[in-house]
Parts: sequence; structure tokens; C-alpha cells
Amino acid sequence: MSPLDKITLVNQVQPWYGEIPVYGQYTFGVAGERFFREIKDNARIMGTVCNSCNLTYVPARLFCERCYNKLESWVDVGTKGRVHTYTVACLNLDGSRISEPIILAMVQIDGTCGGLVHQLGEVTPDKVKIGIPVEAVFKAKAQRTGSILDIKYFRPC
Amino acid sequence: MSEKIKEWPGVALKDADIKEKKVLFTEWRPNLKYAWDTGVGYGRYFEGLRNGRIVGTRCNKCHRVLLPARAFCEWCFRTVDEWVYLKDTGTVNTFSIAYTGTQAERLKEPRIPALIEIDGSNGVGIMHLLGEVDPKNVKNGMRVKAVWKPKEQRQGAITDIKYWKPFEEGTR
Repeated sequence: MSPLDKITLVNQVQPWYGEIPVYGQYTFGVAGERFFREIKDNARIMGTVCNSCNLTYVPARLFCERCYNKLESWVDVGTKGRVHTYTVACLNLDGSRISEPIILAMVQIDGTCGGLVHQLGEVTPDKVKIGIPVEAVFKAKAQRTGSILDIKYFRPC
Repeated sequence: MSEKIKEWPGVALKDADIKEKKVLFTEWRPNLKYAWDTGVGYGRYFEGLRNGRIVGTRCNKCHRVLLPARAFCEWCFRTVDEWVYLKDTGTVNTFSIAYTGTQAERLKEPRIPALIEIDGSNGVGIMHLLGEVDPKNVKNGMRVKAVWKPKEQRQGAITDIKYWKPFEEGTR
């Protein structure tokens, strides 16, 4: 048998299986920590204000990305915003079909710069339009863990 | 630190802050399973180990044996010419006596990794372990023979050879 003869018995070429163990922890940083603590403890969405640029950033940031000023003034920006853009997901991560499509949206909180990527609830895909007003629905306090998923979804208001 | 900055502002996170969940964080454990297609050369090499023999290939232009078997000679970029079936005996080229294991644990009985030149390969060596030998008696140039796992325990891997033990010429 020449080295380039076709292999006809599949079991003669076995794959070599392996696994690379990787584990990561990502902390939210100074501003992220306070932003998510407020969601967890007080069900409030907080932003930071840049007075020289006249902007409020949501999610809250430590530095203004336009003028690099340190942002130290925190404000409660409320829970209402508008759908900046959205998509309707019909497939799961593994490619299987979802029975109930998930509406993923970027929600811009009123009067702020930036947005939160989240999902919409209590609404059907045909009712969703860019620009519709929505509000955050929080989980019960006991279930909140300090994650963006402490907001259950945004619903039209 | 730098010339100008002697101390950075702020408080550094400690391992305990994470363990005691004093700070919020997300965890990330990606699924990095893979299957490497061993191909023609390595595929037959591993299959050969499962059957208790050491398989290489020969390049007639470069007059050398490639071990583990490869389909192409990386010296002259030609397809190799033939399969070669090598003996499971060899010579210790170099060795180390390791009192530390793969998990950095201390070992009472040292492991002896060695580079073993396989007979008939004209000096091509494979990395493996020596066994049934007192570490004091290991020498470069020592003749060794493979100790195979029982056939039903072999998986088509280099670990199908348990270790290499010293042997006298003319014995089994």
C-alpha cells in the first residue's frame, strides 16, 4: 500500500479528541459595579453625566468617550426608553427552531446616549416598530443577581 | 510603575473579593472540545500502535525514515515512498529523572522521560518513559524495549506503550 492510497477503512483514521480547559471571570469595573448594584438593589437604571459634552451615558461609564473627562455625577434615568433597533430571533443558539420567537432590541433610555441590548416582552413581533416607547420590567428583588437579566424584558408603554 | 507615576490610584481587586462575591462578575467557561483529523500519516501511526507496532514512512530521496509516519517529506516536499514497520526496540539518546509530575506534584518514585531512538529508523527518536529500571542505572546508549499495554486496553495512542524497559541483546 502506497502512502497516498486512499484509506478505505474509516476506522484506520481516527480523530484525536481533546479539550482545552479555559475559565474566565469578568468583573464589571468601577462604573459597571455601581450600575448593576443599583439594578440589583434598587431596580434603578443609572447613568453618568458629562457636563462639558451635555450627555448622559447609559450604561454608566467612568469616563466620557468624547472628551475623556472623568464622570462623577450619577443620575437615575428612569426605566423608559425607545426601541432604537430590533431583530426577531426564530432560532436557538444551536440552530433549532424556537416555538415563540424572541424579539431582541437595543433600547435607548430617554434623554441618554447609548443603549441596552435586551429583549422585548408582552408584545408580538408585528407590533414592534423602531421608535416605539418601552419600559423596563424588573424581576422580583429576591431573584435579582446583579446582571442585565435582572431586567426581565422591556414592554411597550 | 513608571518614572512619573509612583502609585496608581484606586484599589486593586483581590482573589478574596471574587471568592466572597464582594464584587459582581460574570463567569465564562467556553466549550473548547476539538477533534483533530489525524490524516493519512498519523492516522496509520496511531492505528499501528493499537496493533502493537511502530509505523513510519520512508523518503528515498532524503534516505531517511519519518517517524511518526507522515505523508509528505518536509525536507524535499515530496510524497513519501513507502511505509516502514519498525521494531519496538531502541537506544536511549537522552533522559531526565523527574521528581515532579505533570500537575507539579512531588513524586516519590521519579518518572524517567527519555528520547528513544527507534531501531531501523537511522536515529529518529520518540519521547517516552523508561520503566523497570533503577534511576541510578539509566545511561545514555542503553538498549530498551517497549512494554505494551494488553491489546484490549490500547486506544491508538502513544500511551499504548506503557514504558520502555532495559533488555539484553538476543532476549525477548
